[in-house]
Amino acid sequence: MKDNMTGPALGGVEERWSAFPKKDLYSWIRNSQALVAAGHPRAVEVFNQYNKILMNSFTGLSDDEIASMLLYIDAQVKGGDKPQPGAGGAVALEDTKKESSTPWMFIAMAAVLGLLAFALMRIIDNLGNVTRVQAGEQPVRKDWTQSLTSKGFIAFLVFSLILIFGYKSVDNATRMQRQQGYQPTQPINFSHKIHVTQNKIDCQYCHDSARRSKHSLIPGANTCMNCHAAVKKGTISGTSEITKIYASIGFDPLTNKYIDNYDNLSEKEIETIYKKWIGSEYMSANNLTALDDSGESAVNEQWDGVVKALKEDSNGKIQGPIEWVRIHNMADHVYFNHAQHVAVGKVECQKCHGPVEKMDVVYQYSTLGMGWCINCHRETEVKFKDNAYYQQYERYHKELKDGKRDKVTVEDIGGLECQKCHY
Amino acid sequence: MLHYNSRHMHHDNGIWVSADDLNREDKFLQSAEREFSLENVDQTDGKWEASRRDFLKILGFGLGAATLASCEIPVKHAVPYVSKPDEIVPGVANYYASSFVNGGDYCAVLVKTREGRPIKIEGNTLSSITKGGTSARAQALVLGLYDTKRIKNAGSVANGEVQTKEWAVLDREIKAKLAENGNIRIITGTILSPTAKKALAEFTVKYPNTRVVSYDPVSSAALLAANEQAFGIRAIPSYKFEDARVIAAFDADFLGTWISPVEYAVAYAKRRKIFAARGGKMSRHYQIESHMSLSGSNADNRILVKPSEQGAAIVALYNELSGSSGGPKLNEKAAAAIKKMAEDLRNARGKSLVISGSNNVAEQLYVNKINELLGNLNNTIDFSAPSYQRQGDERQLAEVVTEMDNGRVSVAIVWDANPAYDYPDGDKFKSAFAKVGTRISFSGTMDETTALCNYSAPKHHILESWGDAEPKAGHYSLIQPTIAPLFSTRQAEHSLLEWADSANLNRNDEQPYYQYLKSHWASDLFAKQTKFGTPAAFWDMSLHDGVFEMPAAARSVSFNSAASLDASAVTQPSNAEIEISFFETVNIGNGQYADNPWLQEMPDPITRTVWGNHLLVPVEYEGKKIKGWKGLIEGDVVEVEVSGKKLTCTVTPTFGQMPGTVAIALGGGREKGGSGTGYGVNVNGWTKVAGGLVQYAGVANVSDKTGTDALYACVQHHHTMGVQVQEGDKKVNADELEFFEGALTNRSVIFQTHAKELEKMGEKMEEFHAETTHLNEQTLYPDNKDYFGTGVKWGMFIDLNACVGCGACQVACVSENNVPLVGKNEVRRHHEMTWMRIDRYFYGNLENPRVVYQPMMCQHCDNAPCENVCPVNATNHSMEGLNQMAYNRCIGTRYCANNCPYKVRRFNWLDYTTADLWPGNEEKVFHANGDDKPFYADNLVRMVLNPDVTVRTRGVIEKCSFCVQRIQEGKLTAKRENRALTDSDVRSACQTACPTGAITFGNLNNPESSVNKARKEAGVFAYKVLEEINVRPGVDYTAKVYNSNESIS
Repeated sequence: MKDNMTGPALGGVEERWSAFPKKDLYSWIRNSQALVAAGHPRAVEVFNQYNKILMNSFTGLSDDEIASMLLYIDAQVKGGDKPQPGAGGAVALEDTKKESSTPWMFIAMAAVLGLLAFALMRIIDNLGNVTRVQAGEQPVRKDWTQSLTSKGFIAFLVFSLILIFGYKSVDNATRMQRQQGYQPTQPINFSHKIHVTQNKIDCQYCHDSARRSKHSLIPGANTCMNCHAAVKKGTISGTSEITKIYASIGFDPLTNKYIDNYDNLSEKEIETIYKKWIGSEYMSANNLTALDDSGESAVNEQWDGVVKALKEDSNGKIQGPIEWVRIHNMADHVYFNHAQHVAVGKVECQKCHGPVEKMDVVYQYSTLGMGWCINCHRETEVKFKDNAYYQQYERYHKELKDGKRDKVTVEDIGGLECQKCHY
Repeated sequence: MLHYNSRHMHHDNGIWVSADDLNREDKFLQSAEREFSLENVDQTDGKWEASRRDFLKILGFGLGAATLASCEIPVKHAVPYVSKPDEIVPGVANYYASSFVNGGDYCAVLVKTREGRPIKIEGNTLSSITKGGTSARAQALVLGLYDTKRIKNAGSVANGEVQTKEWAVLDREIKAKLAENGNIRIITGTILSPTAKKALAEFTVKYPNTRVVSYDPVSSAALLAANEQAFGIRAIPSYKFEDARVIAAFDADFLGTWISPVEYAVAYAKRRKIFAARGGKMSRHYQIESHMSLSGSNADNRILVKPSEQGAAIVALYNELSGSSGGPKLNEKAAAAIKKMAEDLRNARGKSLVISGSNNVAEQLYVNKINELLGNLNNTIDFSAPSYQRQGDERQLAEVVTEMDNGRVSVAIVWDANPAYDYPDGDKFKSAFAKVGTRISFSGTMDETTALCNYSAPKHHILESWGDAEPKAGHYSLIQPTIAPLFSTRQAEHSLLEWADSANLNRNDEQPYYQYLKSHWASDLFAKQTKFGTPAAFWDMSLHDGVFEMPAAARSVSFNSAASLDASAVTQPSNAEIEISFFETVNIGNGQYADNPWLQEMPDPITRTVWGNHLLVPVEYEGKKIKGWKGLIEGDVVEVEVSGKKLTCTVTPTFGQMPGTVAIALGGGREKGGSGTGYGVNVNGWTKVAGGLVQYAGVANVSDKTGTDALYACVQHHHTMGVQVQEGDKKVNADELEFFEGALTNRSVIFQTHAKELEKMGEKMEEFHAETTHLNEQTLYPDNKDYFGTGVKWGMFIDLNACVGCGACQVACVSENNVPLVGKNEVRRHHEMTWMRIDRYFYGNLENPRVVYQPMMCQHCDNAPCENVCPVNATNHSMEGLNQMAYNRCIGTRYCANNCPYKVRRFNWLDYTTADLWPGNEEKVFHANGDDKPFYADNLVRMVLNPDVTVRTRGVIEKCSFCVQRIQEGKLTAKRENRALTDSDVRSACQTACPTGAITFGNLNNPESSVNKARKEAGVFAYKVLEEINVRPGVDYTAKVYNSNESIS
C-alpha cells in the first residue's frame, strides 16, 4: 500500500491525481485501459512507467464505493484507528477477579475454624478443671508454652505439615515439565496480532497441516514468501524482520528474484546483498542519496540481528531454515493429533492456544496437562449427527432419538481411554 | 527301542512342544508354572548387589536429581522447511512403490516413509508374483539401511578397513588398472535387473577381456541345467501351487527359501485354508526329506529319506509312474510310501506338482520327466513367463577360481556375492583371489570378500538406489530411492559405467544412473509394450505402480527326448552311519542376511533358536524318556567332522529329524561384517562338489558331548502356556502315563483333525463350544454386550491352516512397534521382547510328527486377567475391545504378565532402546560382535523407529496393541472423509505382512467386515485359545486340518 510494486503504491493516489478532476481518477480505477486509450496524460504516464501491465477493470464500482476505498487507503497509510479490544479481554478480566476472591474466602474460613478450635480447647480445659475440682484435685492451668508443647498440638502440627508438604509435592510433581505462560524470544519478532487481527490471515493458511496431520506445522519460508515477496517491510519493524526470511530462503528484494546458487554463497556475499537492501530502504525512507553515519549503524544493527537469528551453530551458515523456539512441548509419550481436533472436532485453535490473534509474542496459554485434556473431553460434545463415521454408534443414536440422552461427549465414545493418547 | 504308533495316541488332540514336554521335565513344568524363572530374575548378572544403605543413597540421589532436572526445562527448537516439498506433510506417511531385491530374492514392496525416512515395508498388491505378500527378509530390509557398520566412503582396503579415497581418485586408479588390458572377471550373484545387465554389457564392450560369472549363495544350477536340457529353456517355470491337488516336494523348501517362497506360499495357501478344507478342495502335500524344513513342517505326509537317498527316491517315483525298474536302492519304508504317493499323483493327473531342491542334474531331469508323465507340463508347470530368480552356475565361478589361481586374472570385481565366505573350498578361493592384482568390491558392508579386496566402491543400500528387476519374463519391477544416500556411496551400475567411460551416463546430472535407467526403459521396454502411448506416461505409471507386467503369450513345452535319464548319475545312497544335510533358514539365507539383527533374533520356525546355527539331531526315546540321539540335549556342544574338517557345534534335538541323519543350517559363522559376526559356524566348507555343482549334504562324524554352550538361546520354553502341571493334587509323572502325552493335550490350545473326519470334528467342536459357553455363563458379573455393541469392536481371526510359519508377521511387528532387540544373552535369559511369537506344536507320530504354527499375541480379552491385578490401573480395557497398556503409568510389578494365561506380556528388564532418562541404566546387553551398546543406542539405528509408537523405557511391561496407532490413524481418515469405517482403513502390521492371508483383522460390530466373514466361514471350527477359562479373547483361531494319506504309516 505504501510501496510501488506491480503498480504504484496505493497510498497518496489522490495527491498524485490532484492535478486532474476527481472523476478522472474514478474512471481510471473503473477502467484504466479506456483512459489510456483516450490518451489521458497521467494514465499514459503510469501505464508506460509500469511496463504496460494491465490493471483489472471494475466497471461495476459505484462512486460511493470508490470513495470509501480511497478513504480506507488513506486511513491505512496515514494511520487509522487502533483495533478495539475484543470481548475476550473483558471475560479474562472477570476470571482473574473471581480467582483472586477465593483465597480470601479460605483465609477467613481458616480463621473462623481456628478460633473455633481455640475456643473448644479452652472449653475442654475448663471442663477438665471442673471435674478435677469436683474430684478434689488442683485445677491445672496451662500457660501458652505448655499448650504449644503439648502432645496434641505437636501431633497436629506434624500432621498438618505432612499434609501441606504432601499436597505441595504432588502438586509440584504434576506440574513438572509444564510450562504454561512460556513466552520465549523467537529468532524473528513475528507478530500474530499483525498477521491475524490486522491482516485477517486464517490460521490454517500458514499452519496448513493442522487439518491433515498430527502436527500443525510451522510454515516453511516459502509460505512466508507467498506474501512477503510483495510485502517487503513490516508495519512496525520495517526491514529488520522480513529480511530474515529473505536471508533464509535466498530472495533478493531489490531484484525480486531468488538468488542463484544461494546455498553456496559465503557469509560476506550474503551480507553485501542484504545490507544493500536495508541501506536502500533506509535511504528512501529518509530521502537520502547516500548512507549517513546513523544509517550505517542502523544497517549494521539490522544485519547483526539477521545473523543472530539465522546463523546455525552446527555449520555456521546463514542460509537454511529458521530455528524457532518450540513453545508447546508435549511429553514424548503423548500422542496428540491436530487433524482430529481441527478437521473432525472443529475445535477453534484459540480453545487451546488462547487469543493468539492478540499476541505480539506467542506464549503457552494452556497447561497442556492431562487433567486439562480430560476435562475438555468430558465436556465437549461430539459432532455426532454431521459425520457418517459416527453412525456406527447405534445405541447412542437410539438414545438420542428416544430422548434418553441429550448429547454425546468425547468421553462417551471412549475419549478418556488411555490408548486414545498413549501408545 | 519301543515302537511307538500314533494310532495308539491316547488323545486325538495330542500335541507337544518339545521332548521336555513329553518327559514332563521339571525345568519345563517350572517354566510353565512361573512367568519368570528364578535364575533369570537376577537382572544384573550378579554385578551389583544393593544393600539397604545403597538403596537409601540411590533414593536420595534420585530425589535430588529429579528436583534438579525439573528446575530447568531444556529449550527445544522447531525447525520448519525452507521450501516445503509439496508431497511431504510432516506427521503423515508417504508410501513409495519399490522392490526388495537381494541376488535372486525378490519381493514387490511399498516403502513407508515418514519425513523422508523409510521406516516400514509393506507388500505391493499390484504385483502378480508376490500379490502383496512379504517375507521376513523383505520386512527386515529397512534395518539394513541404518546399519552403523555400513561402509561410508569409497577407498582402498587394508587390514579389513577402508582407507577413504575420493571417488574421483578411486575412479582414476581403477580405470588405469582396467586399461592394462588384462583379464577382468566380475563375480556376481543372480542379476534380476535388465538395466544392470545393459551396464555390464557396456562395460564388456569397453573391456572385451571381461567375463561376468554369476552364482547363487544356495545353488539351483542343476534345475536350470535340467530345464535347458529337457525344455530348451534355462529358466525356472511358474509353479502353480494353487492348481495342484497333490504336491510332492523332494527336499525343496518352497514355502521357506526355495526360489520364490512368497509367490509359492500365496498360491499354496489357497488350497490349504479352512474353506478349502471344508469345500473338499484341500491339496495333499508330500515332503520327501531328512530334516524338517519349513515346507516339511506344513506337509501332510513327510517321507523320510536320507540325504544320499534323494536320487533313489526320485528314481523310485519315476519307476513307479513309468513302470520301469532299477536305480539305486531306497529304504523300505520310504519305498512303500513313494508307491502310495505315486498312486495319489497319478490320480491327480495334470493337477499335481513334483519339485526337487536337488542340485544334481540327473535328478532334476527325472523330476522333469515325472512331471511330463503326470501331465503337469503346461498345466501346473508353466513356462509362459519363466522365472529368472535363480541364474547362477557355480561351475563358472570354479573356472574363474582356477584362472585366478593360475594368475591369469588381473582385475576381479565382486558384486552382490561373498565367495570368500560361501565358496565350498574357502581357502582355495582366498589363495586364488590373492593372486589377482586388482580386487574391487561393491559390497556395502565389510564382508569376508571385501576384506580381501584392495578397493572398496560401496554401493547404495537398495532403499537409496534406482534400479529395476525382471523376476519373471515380462514382469518388470522398479526400485526407487526413498531417502537420499546416507553416506558417500555410489550405485554399482554407476561405477561400472563410469569405469567404462560410458557415453550414455550423464555425469552432470544429479542422479546419473536414474537417467540411464529411465532412458533404458524409454528406449528398450517402451517399445515392447502397447499399453502406454508415450515413454513418459509409461515411466510415470510404472514408477507409481512399482511393477509393470506384460501379458505373457502362452508357451507350451514338451520333454526333449534327447535328454536321457541316467539312474547311475543320481546321488548314490551311502552306507555311512550318520549323514548330514545343509539347509537354508528363512531368516539368514546363506549368510546374506546375517547382518540383520531383526532376522537373527527371529526364532527359527522349527527349532525356535536365535542368533546362530545349530546341529539338529534326531530324538530318541527309552521307555518314557525322550532324549536326543547319543543322549544329547539342547545346548550340548559336540565336535563334528565332515570331509576331514572339524567344527564345534551346539546341538538342538529336533523332532522330525530322520534317525541316522543330522542337519545344520547354512549362514552361520560370519567372520567379517556387521551384527551377525561370530554367531554359529560356517559350514560352507562342508559342502562337497559333484559334477561341478555344490551338494548340500555329506557324511558326518559326531563326537560325544564335549561341553555346554553357555549362550544357547532357544525360546521354546519361554512363555509356555496352558500347561497342566498337576492332576488333582499330584504332579504328573511321564513314566506313569500310559502313552507319550504332551502337557497341553487336554487344553484347548490346538485342535486338529484329518480332512475326512471334518464332520466328526465339527460335532466335537460344537460340543466343546457348548460346554465352554455353559462354563463361561456361570458368572456373577453382568454381560458387556451392550458396552461393546456400539461403535467399533476390534477382533482378529487367524486361520492356522493358512499359516505356514514363515515369520514375516513377526518381523513386521518388530518393525512397526519399535519392539526392542535384546541380543543373544538376553534371549537366553527369557528376556526376548517380541510382541508376537509363532508357537510351534507337534502332533501325530512321534518319529515323524506334523506341525501346527500358532501366531500368538495379546488376545485382547474382554475379561482380561491382567487388567484386574494391576495395582496402578496401567492396563485396562477400552470400549473398542482393546486391552490397553499405558507405559508411563506402569510401575513394573509384572503381576499382569504373571496372570496372563497366554504369556504375551513382555517386561523391559533393561534399557534396551535407551529411552531412559538416565544413561547409567544402559546395561551392556547386546553382545553382538563385541558391541556392548544396546542395539538402538546409535542415532543412526534410531532412524528406523516408528515415530507414532512410544519407545518404552526400562521397567515397564509392553505387549501387542492390535497396532493401535494404525487403528487411530484409520479411524481418523474415515472421520475426516465423513464416512463409515471400512476394512481397508485399519489393517494390522502382521496382517499386511502375511503372504497367505492367515491373519484377518477388523471390526466385529460390522457384520460385513472381513473378520466377521472369515469367522463365519470357519463356523464351528473357529475357537478361542483356552476358551474354557472365560477370559473372552478377541482373537479366534481355526482348527488345523491335515489331509494326509492315511495308508502311509
